[in-house]
Amino acid sequence: MSSASRGPLALRLAGFALIVVFFQIGVVSEVPVFGVNAELCALMVAFVGLLCGSTVGAVCGFAVGLVIDLALLQTLGLTSLIFTLIGYWCGRLRELRDPQAALTPLLVGVSATALSLVGYSLMEFMLGVDAPVSFELLRVIVLGVLVNSIVALPMWALTRRSLEGAMPEDPRRRRRRAYTTGGLSPLSKA
Amino acid sequence: MYDKTVRRRRAVLALLVVLSLLLLTAYFGEAPNGRLHGVQRDFLTVVSPIQDGANKALKPVRDLFSWFGNTLHAKSQLAQALKQTEKLRRELVAEQAEKRSYRELLALDHLDQLGVSDYRPVTATVIYTDPNLWYSTVVIDKGESAGVQRNDPVINEEGLVGKVVQAAPDGALVDLITDSSMGVSARIGTSQATGIVQPKVGDPSDLLLGYLPSNAQANGGEWVVTSGTVSPAFPSLYPPGLLIGQVTSVNEESAYKSVNVHPVANLHDLDIVQVLTAAAGTRPANLSQLAVSLPAGAAGAPNGGEQLASTQVGE
Repeated sequence: MSSASRGPLALRLAGFALIVVFFQIGVVSEVPVFGVNAELCALMVAFVGLLCGSTVGAVCGFAVGLVIDLALLQTLGLTSLIFTLIGYWCGRLRELRDPQAALTPLLVGVSATALSLVGYSLMEFMLGVDAPVSFELLRVIVLGVLVNSIVALPMWALTRRSLEGAMPEDPRRRRRRAYTTGGLSPLSKA
Repeated sequence: MYDKTVRRRRAVLALLVVLSLLLLTAYFGEAPNGRLHGVQRDFLTVVSPIQDGANKALKPVRDLFSWFGNTLHAKSQLAQALKQTEKLRRELVAEQAEKRSYRELLALDHLDQLGVSDYRPVTATVIYTDPNLWYSTVVIDKGESAGVQRNDPVINEEGLVGKVVQAAPDGALVDLITDSSMGVSARIGTSQATGIVQPKVGDPSDLLLGYLPSNAQANGGEWVVTSGTVSPAFPSLYPPGLLIGQVTSVNEESAYKSVNVHPVANLHDLDIVQVLTAAAGTRPANLSQLAVSLPAGAAGAPNGGEQLASTQVGE
């Protein structure tokens, strides 16, 4: 990524991330669906990683996690750690596999949500927070993943639209180029 | 070139992970008035007006979503509420006569018990609700500048909601009674037996009133209220008689009896709450000060540690 394209991307990312964080805090957190709340921030971090790569994904995850921990007076560093790993993992998925299927965002969103909920629970166990370990925890994780799977595709479209034009390399553009340059094109075999 | 990119990517990841772990370790190890907690409070001071504004601006959207859920929920509760109203009407008549006798007795014996009137209520708006299973907390828009202090009880029109655990100049963090770190000394109705209300393991939206003597009387449908002064030496922070919930079932255990309690306050839909603040030097403020200074190890014991039932058990 060139330094010229990094500036607009960073600005757009910062603006978009802040809006999503405050929307999550102000609205989504107070509207339970099936007794749980959608986790837009985890989805956003995952999709930023998927669109912009592992480094940007990890940095975005860390920053978003830090803002959440600061704003909610939670244990500092906890959400940052989990979101950093989610952003990085989704970025690596893009760099290694570059999945193009229409359902990729849905699967990535579901996986990222599950990772964040399970990771959060594990971290809390390790930190010794006294909380119920039961069917309830499993129910919250399963329902959380289910609710996030409903909002994953709209969130993907929103993230993509917000970062359009500033992304380091559009996967769709890259795919088109792969077919029109070099011997890998099926047309060249004809 | 490729190696350089890979090295840089790994370095960034390692740096961020190490930074997160450092923050985590430092934050978890420091006292509530430490530097990182201070940074959090400062941050809350800065963003709390934004959160407050966003909260007000987005309230119609939130209300719209809540309306659907509430309508369905209200329909299922209607029959139950009608039955309960009838029962309460009958009880009210009996209670009024009892109240008159009680007042006469108080005047006669010059009893001076800590009550809600000893506090100065500060009305606050909930600007954030933490949906997390691990922490049942809310952030309110009133803080130290309005007189809100750590350990102040928080109520709403329905009953006890929780207590303040961190106060910033323009906001405060409130632990709800369903938070795993909370415990409130309580009694069932007019019974003299006291116990500790804590979140129920396995179902954090319900409560368990534990450590009741095995001969304590408890029936389904009875109200559970704060007991106020439970030990002459170390009184509870909460004024007596604050409604906590309703008994749903009774568990017979070996040494102690425990009852399941459903909280009366709708903790999932908090909007306006009141913080019961106390001016410095007043009795509630002194009691709060006392509770904070008590050693944490005293918590949890059914009798000797009752004074900490109203402070954070996990602290």
